[in-house]
Amino acid sequence: MLVTRRQDTVSKSQTMADRTATASRLEEVVSTADEFDQVVLQSLPMLLDRATGYTKRFLRETGQWKDDIEHEKFALRWGSEYLERFLVCGRSEIPCRPLFLFDSLVAKQHSKPDPFCYHPDLLRPLGRFVDGLAARAVISRDALIALYRHAYGWGPGEVIAMTGLNGLESQRIYKNFRRWRENGWQRTMDEMGLTKAEIAELGNQQQRHRHRFNSEAERLMRVAQAHYRKSEPDHYPCLSRSQWGEMFAEGYGCDYRIWHLALCLDCMQTAWGLGSNGSTIGEKPRLELQVRP
Amino acid sequence: MGQEEDLELYRSRLLESLSSRRRSVRGSSDPIQVYVNERRVGELEGAGIGAMLQVQCLDHIETVQLRTEEGTLLGGLAAPEYGFRMQRVRLSADTVELCVHNTAQGGTFSALLSPAPTFWSRVRKSIADVADRLAAHRPDAALASGMRTVAFTQALLAIAVVGLVADRMTTWMAPEPTPSPAALSEVRPVSQIVETARLEQQLDEVARKQEQLGDALGDALGAQQKGMAQLQQAMAKLSSTQESVETSVQTVRQELEKQQALVASREVERAVNQLSSKAQMRHGQIETAIHSLTVDNDRMSKEIAGLEQYNQDLKNKLLAVGLNASKGVDSNADKQARQAELMQPAQQPQVAQGAQTGQAQPFLFWVTFSDGTSQERIDQWVHEMKGHKGALNEGWQEVQIVPPAVPPDRFIEQIKEDKIIKAARIGQ
Repeated sequence: MLVTRRQDTVSKSQTMADRTATASRLEEVVSTADEFDQVVLQSLPMLLDRATGYTKRFLRETGQWKDDIEHEKFALRWGSEYLERFLVCGRSEIPCRPLFLFDSLVAKQHSKPDPFCYHPDLLRPLGRFVDGLAARAVISRDALIALYRHAYGWGPGEVIAMTGLNGLESQRIYKNFRRWRENGWQRTMDEMGLTKAEIAELGNQQQRHRHRFNSEAERLMRVAQAHYRKSEPDHYPCLSRSQWGEMFAEGYGCDYRIWHLALCLDCMQTAWGLGSNGSTIGEKPRLELQVRP
Repeated sequence: MGQEEDLELYRSRLLESLSSRRRSVRGSSDPIQVYVNERRVGELEGAGIGAMLQVQCLDHIETVQLRTEEGTLLGGLAAPEYGFRMQRVRLSADTVELCVHNTAQGGTFSALLSPAPTFWSRVRKSIADVADRLAAHRPDAALASGMRTVAFTQALLAIAVVGLVADRMTTWMAPEPTPSPAALSEVRPVSQIVETARLEQQLDEVARKQEQLGDALGDALGAQQKGMAQLQQAMAKLSSTQESVETSVQTVRQELEKQQALVASREVERAVNQLSSKAQMRHGQIETAIHSLTVDNDRMSKEIAGLEQYNQDLKNKLLAVGLNASKGVDSNADKQARQAELMQPAQQPQVAQGAQTGQAQPFLFWVTFSDGTSQERIDQWVHEMKGHKGALNEGWQEVQIVPPAVPPDRFIEQIKEDKIIKAARIGQ
């Protein structure tokens, strides 16, 4: 027992010493991109903990923190996001002191209004699933197209018909679906910290209480979409049916159709049927969340 | 699994994902998504040809990110607050050149995708390099491409001709047994025929080679034309994109101008409303003041008229008294009348004081009034004291009254007790 304790103490003091050494290396000036990569990649765990700590502090100071695993995961997730951006954008700031640059990057993020989509319900498994899909859709076209599948259960053909895409764009939709099935979905689940058991439980809930499950999913989807739609350029507002109609008829705004309709439940209702050249294509779509890709 | 373990697993998974980020690859034909300030602004089509994207923002550009369609962050840059920043991002063999320029008016951003050169383009480049070396003395840069082709052809032809001449010379110089004159006449035509045939064959070969060369040149020219066509297409696409961006910017500017004009007109309207309401208020105040002044004026006029009448009466009485005195008639009744008249000024101080001056020395003293005491209240006080105001000197008001019954010091102490009196003194 005594030996084990001593070993623990030695191990802890060793970790502390390593951390101090890493931090001091990060505080020194780096002059080349290779040097930056080397120093930062060696310090990833420490930087992740640092960013997570800052995020926790931000949540505490804004009255959004609670001591539970959901909040811990949320802070870790955003710490990882900041670190990823730092890994890429930090190289353009060379020569720099990586630690200070990293701190300033996180501070800059936290000084923005609504730096991330926080809602207590979005921290539960269903909320995390919905939030993960919407957050990923902002940075990945595969995830964006997959939103049609997860929200309405559509396949590539239905997506193409709804959005009124041409032949070239259609090919991309099939590709997006394939990639999402192959690895995009799993990667998103991993990044959101959803375990297999949680995903299985979501599937069970969907089967047992379909109506309640979908109405709760719709409520959460609206919260998430309202936040992530801000990633669209400013001149991308919700349109009236006549404006949508004009766009579909004249064949412009292809990107706009794909991006906005995936991220707006109301506009989907408004623009329903315009992509199929006026032919009747059934009832307006209702959100029926699909857990699997 | 405990929560701690779950959390630790999540953390290590995130770290693994961050570490493996650099190993992720992009399909060569997949478009690259471009994000400015974490907003998607467009994409660079990476189907083996160069592509360009230009963006103009009203806000400062802070970050630029390049992502795959899967969402993997490929590269990016953090822009300076003001000025230029360029960054070359290598994506496997392709290169994307990012350029950001921030000014006080906003930011502009351009991304240029240069795909990796293909095998054939590398071969073409090598040949062109060789030709360049051969035709290095050609000064005209515009004709460089054509000159390279011509120089290459000339070099090949020269090599072929030199080869043929050498072949002929070898044949002619070769030591052959001299035939007899008789045989010579028979042999010469035969050998000439053979030589001619060989020459024809070699000429055919040269022609064939020339044809092959022509084909190759044709192919090269075709490829060049194709490249030019692709370049033109890219340029056309770029210009159309630029036009659409300019149109969007123009629209946004117009909307901003409209909004600014609207805001300005609203502000002007609000200011005008405020001014007019203030003016109305002042107008009302002035009207009230004018009205009160008119009323005061009327009252004063009436008082003046009354006083003038009273003065006239007094004058008449004085005249009558003077006449009586001169007649030596001084009845008690007259005395009583005069005394009564002399008592009147106490009730009409402003006029009677003048009448008294000849008979009793007025009591003079100086007072200052408490801050905020109205003129009306001061006048009222003077009236109550049955006195009248004299000169005003550095805040001290001279007051003349009928000499008081009490000693002056005592009188001064008494009036000091009045609330509106701040200070009082006898001497100046």
